[in-house]
Amino acid sequence: MNTHAALISRRTLLRGLGVSLSLPWLEAMGPVVSWAEAADPKTVAPNRMAFLYVPNGKHMPDWTPKQEGGKFELSPILEPLENVKHKLLVLSGLTADKARPYGDGGGGHARAMAAFLTGVHPNKTDGTDIRNGISVDQAAAVRIGEKTRLTSLEVGTEHGAMAGNCDSGYSCVYTSTMSWRSATQPLPKQVNPKLVFERLFGSGDKQQKKRNARQKSILDYVREDSKGFSNGLSTSDVRKLDEYFSSIRDIELRMERAETLPPIKTPDYPAPSGIPASYEAHIRLISDLLVLAFQADVTRVATFVLANEASNKPYPFINVPEGHHDMSHHGGDAAKQEKIKQINLFHTRQLAYLLERLDRIQEGDGTLLDHSMIAYGSGIHDGNAHNHEDLPILLAGGGSGTLTSGRHIRFKKETPLNNLWLSMLNRMEISVEKLGDGTGTLPNLFDPNA
Amino acid sequence: MKYAAFAVMAWTLIATAAARAAPPPTPQFGKSGRAFLEKHCLKCHRGEKPKAGLSLKPFRDSLSLIKHRTVWNDVLRKIATGEMPPKGQPRPTVAASVAFTDLVKAVFDHADKNAKPDPGRVTMRRLNRVEYRNTIRDLTGVAFDPTEDFPSDDIGHGFDNIGDVLTLSPVLMERYLAAAEQVMNKAIMPNPPAIIKRHLSSIYTEPASGDSAKLAVKGFRPMRTDGKRAIDVGPINTPYKWEPDGDYIFRTRVYGERNGGKPLKVTILLYDKDLPNPAPPAALDKLSGNVYRPSRILKTFLVKATKPDDAEILEVRVPAMPNRHRMLIAIDKPPTGAPPATLWIEYLALEGPLDPRPASHRRLLAVTPGKSQAEQTREVLSRFLHRAFRRSVTNDELARSSRLADQMMASGETWEAAIQFAMQAALCSPKFLFRAELDDNPHSSKIRDLNEYQLASRLSYFLWSSMPDDTLFNLAGKKQLTANLDAQVRRLLADPRASSLVQNFAMQWLQLKRIDFISPDGKLFPTFNAKLRSAMVRETELFIESVLREDRSILDLIDPDYTFLNEPLAKHYGIADTKGNAIGQKPQQPGGQRIKGELFRRVSLQSRVRGGLLTQASVLTVTSNPTRTSPVKRGRWVLEQILGAPPPAPPPNVPELSEEMKGITAASLRERLEVHRRKPACVNCHAKMDPIGFALENFDAVGAFRTKDGQFEIDATGEFTNGTKFTGPAELKSFVIQRKTEFVRCLTEKLMIYALGRGLEYYDRPTVEKIVKSLPAKDFKFSALITQIVKCDAFRQRRGL
Repeated sequence: MNTHAALISRRTLLRGLGVSLSLPWLEAMGPVVSWAEAADPKTVAPNRMAFLYVPNGKHMPDWTPKQEGGKFELSPILEPLENVKHKLLVLSGLTADKARPYGDGGGGHARAMAAFLTGVHPNKTDGTDIRNGISVDQAAAVRIGEKTRLTSLEVGTEHGAMAGNCDSGYSCVYTSTMSWRSATQPLPKQVNPKLVFERLFGSGDKQQKKRNARQKSILDYVREDSKGFSNGLSTSDVRKLDEYFSSIRDIELRMERAETLPPIKTPDYPAPSGIPASYEAHIRLISDLLVLAFQADVTRVATFVLANEASNKPYPFINVPEGHHDMSHHGGDAAKQEKIKQINLFHTRQLAYLLERLDRIQEGDGTLLDHSMIAYGSGIHDGNAHNHEDLPILLAGGGSGTLTSGRHIRFKKETPLNNLWLSMLNRMEISVEKLGDGTGTLPNLFDPNA
Repeated sequence: MKYAAFAVMAWTLIATAAARAAPPPTPQFGKSGRAFLEKHCLKCHRGEKPKAGLSLKPFRDSLSLIKHRTVWNDVLRKIATGEMPPKGQPRPTVAASVAFTDLVKAVFDHADKNAKPDPGRVTMRRLNRVEYRNTIRDLTGVAFDPTEDFPSDDIGHGFDNIGDVLTLSPVLMERYLAAAEQVMNKAIMPNPPAIIKRHLSSIYTEPASGDSAKLAVKGFRPMRTDGKRAIDVGPINTPYKWEPDGDYIFRTRVYGERNGGKPLKVTILLYDKDLPNPAPPAALDKLSGNVYRPSRILKTFLVKATKPDDAEILEVRVPAMPNRHRMLIAIDKPPTGAPPATLWIEYLALEGPLDPRPASHRRLLAVTPGKSQAEQTREVLSRFLHRAFRRSVTNDELARSSRLADQMMASGETWEAAIQFAMQAALCSPKFLFRAELDDNPHSSKIRDLNEYQLASRLSYFLWSSMPDDTLFNLAGKKQLTANLDAQVRRLLADPRASSLVQNFAMQWLQLKRIDFISPDGKLFPTFNAKLRSAMVRETELFIESVLREDRSILDLIDPDYTFLNEPLAKHYGIADTKGNAIGQKPQQPGGQRIKGELFRRVSLQSRVRGGLLTQASVLTVTSNPTRTSPVKRGRWVLEQILGAPPPAPPPNVPELSEEMKGITAASLRERLEVHRRKPACVNCHAKMDPIGFALENFDAVGAFRTKDGQFEIDATGEFTNGTKFTGPAELKSFVIQRKTEFVRCLTEKLMIYALGRGLEYYDRPTVEKIVKSLPAKDFKFSALITQIVKCDAFRQRRGL
C-alpha cells in the first residue's frame, strides 16, 4: 500500500482527511486524451488489447466453471471476479499445440511461454540460434502502432532469470519473454514502475524539446556513420545490426509521432520511485500504469507477465512458503493442489483489481474496460502434467461492443489458441492472414441475439 | 551437433561404461547399424514420401552420419526416450536400443576427437550491462552506473555474454541514448562553475574556546611561543573539504612580534591522518605548540612585518593528493635563551579547486597547445574514437565526428560542448555498443587470425569485462600483443579489474546470481536474512578470488583447508575464531582470533566439513527448496556445474516428492526419495544424483549444519556410483577430486563459453581435451588454465559465415 499511496497526488491528499486514501485516482484524473474531449460526441474510443500471463498452469478442477453459456457460476478460483463477471468471457478448450514437445523432449514451460502469443514452436536452444515467431501483440503493434506514442508496452513483475538454462535446454529468454517483435527479436519486459512511468510520460524534463532535437541529430549521425559498417560483418552479425537499426528507427518514428499526435497530458502524479517490496503492490502498481497508458492513449497494445514461466517464487504472504513451480508438480497430492489453488486465487485477485480499475473510468459511451480486451491465462493446463490443451483462458472487456460477455464458452477440442488472438486482431480492425498455427477466428464471441 | 548433447552422451557412457567393454578405436556404423535401421526404422522412413519427411535409407556408413549430425541428434533423442519406434510398432529390446545409440555416439565421439580445427563463429557481441558499465568507467573515467535502468541481459549457455542471445530492443536503445547523455554530462563540464573562495577570520579557527575572539586585537589573533593555554600557543588551524584531484591556493595575512628584531619564521602545513609523504617527526618537533601528525610542510616564510598595517599575505599552492584535511600555521620554538615570539594572524583563505572541472574533463579534452581549433578537435576526437571503438579509426569516421562537433559550434555551442556532444553520439554508435570483429571477407569460411586490436578486446573483456587499457592498445598498435600474450595474461590477472572474473564468470558458473531470488521459509529458517545472504555470496567470492590471486590449483576450489568468514556467517557455521575452533567448545587450535563484525577474515579449517565450493552456504542454499533441502537439486548441481555431466531432463508426468513433512507420511526425506527412485523411468539418473545430495544432507536448506531433520536422524552415508562409500561431505570432496579430469574439463568448458561468447561445438572438443591434458604438468594452476584458453585457436582466430 505504501507505494500505492506514493502515487496519489498531493492534490488528492490535500482534499482532506475526509476523503479516503483509496480514492480511485485514475478516474479522478478525468479524460486525459484529446479524442475524449473532442467537440464531436460521436468520436469513438479506440479498442485496446492486453495480454496477461501467469505461469505453471492452474488447478483446473477449481478453475473451469461447471456450466456453459450465460448462466454460469464463477468457479472457486474465479470468484474474485464477481464484480466484473458480466464483462467476462471464460474460454475453455483452447490449445497451444506448438508448446508440445514435437520430439524436443523436456521444456514444456519454456515452450508454453514462447508459443503462447506466437503459436510457433520455438527452436530448442540454450543460446545459439534463438528462434520463435512474431507474437500477436507485435502483429498488432506493427499495424496500428503509428496511431499512438508507443507502439506497444511490455511490462512484468518478475525479472528475467539470472542464471543457467531455464528449462531443460531452453534459454531463459523463452521462459521470461512473452512478446516477440520478430522470430529472432524477443522484447524484454520492464519491471521497474519508475521506468515504465518514464517511458509512458517522459521524465517530466522541461528540456525535452531540445533533447529530442539533439537525439535526432545523434541518430542521423550514427545512421550515416554505420553505412559501410555491415560490409565487414558476417550474416549473424548483420542480424544484430538490424536489431540496432530497427530500434533507432522505432525511436525516430516515436519522436515524429510525438510531434504530430495530440499532446498527452502528463498525469499530475508523482512518478513511482522503484520496485515495491511487496509482490502484490508491485503487480498493482504496474496494473495502474497499464490503466494509465490505455486511458491516456499512449498505447493500445500491452503485454504483462505476472511471473515467468516455471517461476518458483514462494508466496509466503498467502501461506505458501514453497516455490510455485515445486508445488505445481503436485502429483495428485491434495495439500499441494490446495496451495496451487491459493496461488491461482491470488493472481485472480490481482486481475480483478486491474479490471475493476479499468471499469471505473468513464469514457464516452462506456468505461475503459468496455473499450478493451484483456486476455488472461497460462500456456499450461495443469502444472503436474505439463499439458497444453484446454488452457485456462479469460477474455475480459467489451472490445468496443464486439464481444458478448458474461459467458462461459467451450470450444471444440484442439481449437488453436491463436484463433482467439486472430479474433482479437479482427476486433482491432487489423486483418492478419496468418499468425502462427491459427486457422481462423473463433465463432460465437459475439452473440447478436444476446 | 551441440556440445550439450555430448554432455548427455558422456553421461550415458559413464552410466554404461562399467557394464561394457570400451568401444573399439575406430567405430564403424556399417553392418550392425544398418541392420538396426532395417529392422526398426526403414519401414516408415524410406522411399519417396518417408514419414516426417525423413528417410534413413541413405545412412549406410559412419561418414554419412557425420555429415548429418543434426538429423542424428534428433534420431538419438527419439530412440533414447522411447518415442521411436512409435507405439504399435515392434519395438527393439532396451539392450538393442542402447547398443545402437551407443554405436552412433561412438561414431560421433571418434569423429570429434579427430575433428578438423575450426575456431567457430562468434556473433558480434553487444556489451552486456556489466561490460557497458566497466567500459564507460575506463573510457571516460566517470564512476557512474547508468545500467541500473537497463533491461536485464538474457542468458545463454549459462552466461550473459553470449553474442547470439544478447538482443537490442527499442527500450534498451532508449536507455543507451539517455545513458550516453548522462555519462558525458558528468565527464565534461562545458560551463565550469566559478572557483570557490573560502575566507575565515582567525577568531573562528582552532584551537578554539569561548575566549578565542577576546584574544584578537584589530582582527588579528595571536599565537605565542610562551603561551600558557592551547588557544594561546597554536598552531592555528582549520579543516577543509577537498576535491581529491584539485589544486588549491591557501593564503593567510600575518605579522610578527618580539622576535629579537629578526624576521619571524612561519611554516604552513597540511594535515591528514592518511597523508602521503609526511614530514619527518624531527622537522615537526622544531615547531612550537602541539602540531597535528602526520603533517607535511608546504612552505616556510620569513615574516618581516611587525605591525598590523604592514601585515604580509603568505600564499602557498596545495597540490592535488588523495588525502587532505587541515591547514596549519606554525612558528618555530625559539632557540634556548632567545626571547619568546608571537605571530598575529588575521584570516585563513582557501581558493579552489583551481580547475573546478572533473579530471575526466581535462583528460578527455587534453590538447597539444598551439594547434588550431580544428586540429585540436581532430586530436581529441581521434583519441576518443580509437578507444571507444577499440581499434584504429578511419579518416571518414574521424571526419564525420568532427563535422558533428563543427555543426554544434556553428549552432552557437562552445568547443567543449561540441566535443562533448560528438562523444555522446559516439557512445550511441553500434561501433561502441557492439564488439564487432570487422572482417575484409566476412562471408568466407576461411580461417584467419584475429587482428591485434580484436585480440586485445577479447582478452580484456574475458579477464576484465572491460575495454583494453593503454598498454594493450599500444601493444596491439605495434602488433606485438600476440608475441606477448603470456606476460599480458599475467599482468591482466594481477590487476584489480580481474575480480570481474569472479563476479561475472564464477558467480554465473556456480549459478549463484540466483540467490537473490531465493526465499527460504522464514518460519523454518529464522536466522536467514539479507545480511546472511550477502555474507554467503561474499564468502564464495573471496574464496574464489583467493584461488585466482594466489594462483592456486583449481582443485583447491573443491577441497581447501581455509575459507573466509564474517561474524554472521561464522555463527551460521558454528565457527568461533580464525583457527576454525567451534563455538561453545574447547579450542583445539590455539591462537585464534574471534571473528567479529561484518568484516571478513581468512579462517583456517580444522575439519573437511566446510571448505570448498560444495559445502559453502551459498551453493547449499541455491540448490535447496524454500522449505527443505533437495538432494536431487544438489546432486544435479554437482553433476552439471562441477563434473560436467548434466543428467537428462526428467520424463514428463513425474510427480515431485510428497511434501507432508510430518505425520502424514512418516518417512524421512531420504526414504521418500528412495521410494520415488524405484520407478524404472527414474532410477538411472537418480542413482547418480541422489547419493551426491545425500552426502550433503548434514546441511539444511540454508547451509547450516544439522544432525536431525524434523524428527529424523540425518543419514549422510551411502555409496557413489563407482562403489566408493561415504559418510558425509569429506568423501564427496574426495570423490570429486578422484574425478578431477571431469571437473577440470567442466571448468575449462565453462570458461571457454564465457571467453568466446558462444556455446561450444563438436569441433571444440580437441581443444578442450588438449587444455585438460596440459594442466597436470602445470599443477592445475588457475593462470595456466586461463593462459591455455587465451592461446587456443578458438580464442585467437575466427572465420566468417
